[in-house]
Amino acid sequence: MNIFWHELKAYRKSTITWSISLIAMMVLFMSIFPTFAKDAADFTKLLEGYPESLRTALGMNLDNLFTLLGFYSYSLTFIVLIGAIQAMNIGVSIVSKEIREKTADFLLTKPVTRTTIVTAKLSAAFVSLILTNMVYGAAALMMASQVKLEDYSLQTFVLLSLSLLFVQLIFLALGIVISVVVRKIKSVLTVSLATVFTFYFIGMIGGTADQESLRYFSPFKYVDTAYILQNSSYETTYLIVAAALIVIAIAVSYIIYSKKDIHAV
Amino acid sequence: MNVIEINNLTKTYGKSRGITDISFNVEEGEIFGFIGPNGAGKSTTIRTLLSLIYPTSGSAKIFGKDCIAFAPEIKKQIGYLPSEVFYYDNMKVIDLLKYSASFYKKDCTKRIKELAEIMDLDLTKKIDDLSLGNKKKVGIVQGLLHEPKLIILDEPTSGLDPLMQQKFFELLEIEHQKGVTVLFSSHILSEVQRLCSRVAIIKEGKIVTVEKISTLQENNYKKFKIHTKANLDKSYFDVAGVSKLEVEGNNVSFLFKGNLNIVLKKIAETEIANVWIEEPDLEEIFMHYYVKEA
Repeated sequence: MNIFWHELKAYRKSTITWSISLIAMMVLFMSIFPTFAKDAADFTKLLEGYPESLRTALGMNLDNLFTLLGFYSYSLTFIVLIGAIQAMNIGVSIVSKEIREKTADFLLTKPVTRTTIVTAKLSAAFVSLILTNMVYGAAALMMASQVKLEDYSLQTFVLLSLSLLFVQLIFLALGIVISVVVRKIKSVLTVSLATVFTFYFIGMIGGTADQESLRYFSPFKYVDTAYILQNSSYETTYLIVAAALIVIAIAVSYIIYSKKDIHAV
Repeated sequence: MNVIEINNLTKTYGKSRGITDISFNVEEGEIFGFIGPNGAGKSTTIRTLLSLIYPTSGSAKIFGKDCIAFAPEIKKQIGYLPSEVFYYDNMKVIDLLKYSASFYKKDCTKRIKELAEIMDLDLTKKIDDLSLGNKKKVGIVQGLLHEPKLIILDEPTSGLDPLMQQKFFELLEIEHQKGVTVLFSSHILSEVQRLCSRVAIIKEGKIVTVEKISTLQENNYKKFKIHTKANLDKSYFDVAGVSKLEVEGNNVSFLFKGNLNIVLKKIAETEIANVWIEEPDLEEIFMHYYVKEA
């Protein structure tokens, strides 16, 4: 437990910063919703002038963009992007931090197994993300009730908000694998930004090309907000794919980390 | 009883570094020196003992248990001080030490205070603000706070000023008297000579010899320096066992290995003003091993 608390404390500052950033992004979007919805007709005309492929790439759907949930799901594309960077950052840091800051010798000469270390670090990262999502979710609900013009489905709203956590968990797992495999990561942010944006662009291309198979390659597209808006649920296939991906990534990380040589500086 | 038993330990890396077929034992309660120049494989051996890296072949036992399979259990009784210490920069010294202590299921508060006092360490400072030497002190306290039965030191004195080295050695002596076993790796021979009873010499990943320090010195030559009153014949001391004979006026110096009585008789038969007979220091013996093998 001591490692868990130590790690959680270490993530405290970054968790707070990222939570604030996510909330700020959300507030920024939602606060323009009332004016945006009032002038729906003008905006529709304006947006229709854009090529359709651009609109799909940006995740705009004119059918529902002017409803609260539709607008919220559009803003989520950016919020989830930020959230993914946060999760990837934590994931990549988990092991690489100890190597880069050369504290691995300290931790690994203590009477604990490497499995215990990974479990503790993983749990701390997981709890950080849960806390971020709880704070974010509460703020989002409050904001929504402030700007709503008509009633909306709470269940759909919650499901939409949870897509943040959903994508974050995938990137967390991905980050851990990278952190365990790569021998020394000099800059966490570079690695996580590069990875996250690569997947983001794959997702964008997938959106325009309308290719179902490409969806599997971008965790961002595992949650299709349009589908949630229609069905008030997630797509089972992608839930399973995501779960499998996370389980495999974490299992691989445990195995590699347990067998890894920790070299002197 | 052997606290450390290393059997044919081999670790190969992709590159040329590594260790080959290392075997030696460290007995309970002794201070065992492990010497060799940088890159000879001292750290590799130690890191394998601590299961930071895994051996390619061979094995090692600590307290009679395999050092890989029983690593967490064994490490409860090990204190480790690396040559370069790195800790979580944004922590305070006391918080780091408390974190370190939290891994051992006992109360170490008193011991932390005691050690900090001996080493003159300010517990309230941030690790980030500490000098190299002070970080090293944190390392020493961190390695000893749980009162381990085996202390593993990897080039421990780098960065410590002579006064602190002295205090640190005194600390080790006290632990040694309590029956603690110490594995002391170093490339500085004088400190090994001072503390250790036995020593393993490692060269290019292989153990050259494991000897008692006293035996190493006994089996070696003695250094003679004689100041004579009258000029001597140059060949006077040129007897069997003498080497590096140098005669400069009234000053004679040479190395001797063999029956000391022969030389002493020779000295007695001349008028001398002064005589010095010295033990060679470990440095010279060490160079001897290295030169011989090279």
